[in-house]
Amino acid sequence: MQNFKNQLQFVSTYVKVDVLRLFRDKVAIFFVFFFPLVFLIIFGSIFKGADDVSFRVAVVNQSESQFSGQFVSQLQDNKVFKVDAEAAALPDAKQKLNRGQLDAIIVLPPAFGNPGQAGYPTGTAQIVYEQSNESAAGSLASVLDSVFTGINNELAPYTPPFNAQLSTETTEGLDRFDYTFSGLLGFTMLSLGVFGPTQVFPRLKSKGVLRRYKTTPLRVWQYFVGNVISNALVGVLAIGIMFAVATLFFDLQMRGNYLVFAVVGVLGVTMLFGIGLAVGGWAKNENQAAPLAQLIALPMMFLSGVFFPVFLMPDFLQRITAFIPLTPVIEANRLVLTENASLLDIAPQLGIIGAWIVVVYAIAFRVFSWE
Amino acid sequence: MTKDVLVVKDLQKHYGGKAVVDGVSFSVKKGEIFGILGPNGAGKTTTLEMLESMRPIDGGSATINGIDVSKFPRKIKELIGVQPQTPAFEEKTKLTELINVFAATYGVRVDAMQCLADVQLSEKANSYPEQLSGGQRQRFSIAAALVHGPTVFFLDEPTTGLDPQARRNLWELIEQVRDRGVSVVMTTHYMDEAELLCDRVAVMDNGKIIALDTPKKLIAALLKKGFTKKQHVEQANLEDVFIDLTGKALRD
Repeated sequence: MQNFKNQLQFVSTYVKVDVLRLFRDKVAIFFVFFFPLVFLIIFGSIFKGADDVSFRVAVVNQSESQFSGQFVSQLQDNKVFKVDAEAAALPDAKQKLNRGQLDAIIVLPPAFGNPGQAGYPTGTAQIVYEQSNESAAGSLASVLDSVFTGINNELAPYTPPFNAQLSTETTEGLDRFDYTFSGLLGFTMLSLGVFGPTQVFPRLKSKGVLRRYKTTPLRVWQYFVGNVISNALVGVLAIGIMFAVATLFFDLQMRGNYLVFAVVGVLGVTMLFGIGLAVGGWAKNENQAAPLAQLIALPMMFLSGVFFPVFLMPDFLQRITAFIPLTPVIEANRLVLTENASLLDIAPQLGIIGAWIVVVYAIAFRVFSWE
Repeated sequence: MTKDVLVVKDLQKHYGGKAVVDGVSFSVKKGEIFGILGPNGAGKTTTLEMLESMRPIDGGSATINGIDVSKFPRKIKELIGVQPQTPAFEEKTKLTELINVFAATYGVRVDAMQCLADVQLSEKANSYPEQLSGGQRQRFSIAAALVHGPTVFFLDEPTTGLDPQARRNLWELIEQVRDRGVSVVMTTHYMDEAELLCDRVAVMDNGKIIALDTPKKLIAALLKKGFTKKQHVEQANLEDVFIDLTGKALRD
């Protein structure tokens, strides 16, 4: 009979061959390494673009005063505003506003910039906006306000007794992309862990490849461990590539420790792969595995904060979400990535991941069949 | 008198009250090729799978080297090599790598190149299984089944779908395995194959063995009953013509 060392020999041999095999398979390479990058590039471009705030506005100047002319050219030079030159008349501008092509219209009424009683120019600019776009209009009003405050100070120097000053916390350069990136990592782990094995194992079964192992003394745990290790290695490599691309092209800010991050990555991939192994190991063919894999993966994708943060969800959903296997993986990623969390800080998340590992592998062992 | 390696006594398998294998008994000696013949549904494959400890044995017993098949399936698996009906392997994997993986399932290390040379596949060492012809895949499958030097080698319809050259080549290979002292148990549909290759054959029908002897003795027994073929027996048949025209050399 084989001893434990002999049994581990299978694991090391299998891991070597399994990883080599992946690199020979162009389709697998695409889905493991490039498919997540496609998402990364899409999300990266969206969130990086949204970062430099600018307002698409039309300026309708109804006044003929010298001041209003200067004011308009100042707005055009200002980087915060993207002035639409084609919509200088109110009806055109309103049409564009309705279509959502503009955030707001700035109307300078006929008397705008005419000298007032005190001898210097006065006037009130109107901001016209769609009700649905209230937040943009609010920000725009405050930007205009600060422009006017500057002008007012030059025309009539005056220091108000009380002032409010804004100072923001996110000056360290973290932006929405840095938060989204952890969700994308979760998505990569999910597709690697669940979609991979639920396709591969049923196919191997229906071709009779796995049945052949059943004629040998091979034990299920040897096969499991071999597959877990090879997939964890590939997963770490896929995550590494995403990191490199995100850092080079989207200026990703990594605050955490890489070793802590690797621990989360390996545990996350191991747990998610266990789900794939349970489904793929149970199913007799592809037709059984595919719907079940979708049924498990899709809710996870939407409830675990892959595409939008969990804190935006209603309370009752958040409470459920916390126990979905993917949620602690994404949370731990995020905490390490953006807050430099230590292993101790993310102990609760690691605990939930660990508990899920026990559960999914217990199920996988029970339902696995070679045929 | 060589000893019996595989001993099968009153083997039974039932599906839904129907006996698929109904009291099969035979024994196979060391270095013997034992054929199981029979029409489709006779219970050949089911018998084989029970002996391979791939299916539970419902009744009777089977031992290999005195070890009970149903009680010690894992010990049995170390003693046997199995050639499935349609060999399939993981793709994009070199033959040498697959040999190493199969050796590792038995916890042994082998010279993969030597294993491939034994089945004349040396020049295919870096190929993937999906690049092999049917005959080459059968040969590779034999190499994979023998990595650990088994005592009993089971083959399920090994030559189905092969061309005459590949069949002949496979027969030679199976004889070589037998000559190394391995007991070979195989099923087949082809009577010419059984007659040429098998030292003894069992004819199965409806889950029972209805005849068991050497091919020569079975034929002699039939002739003794007064059987004569209607047509004149030629000294050669069409296959002899085919081999004479196209040669014995392998075509894959």
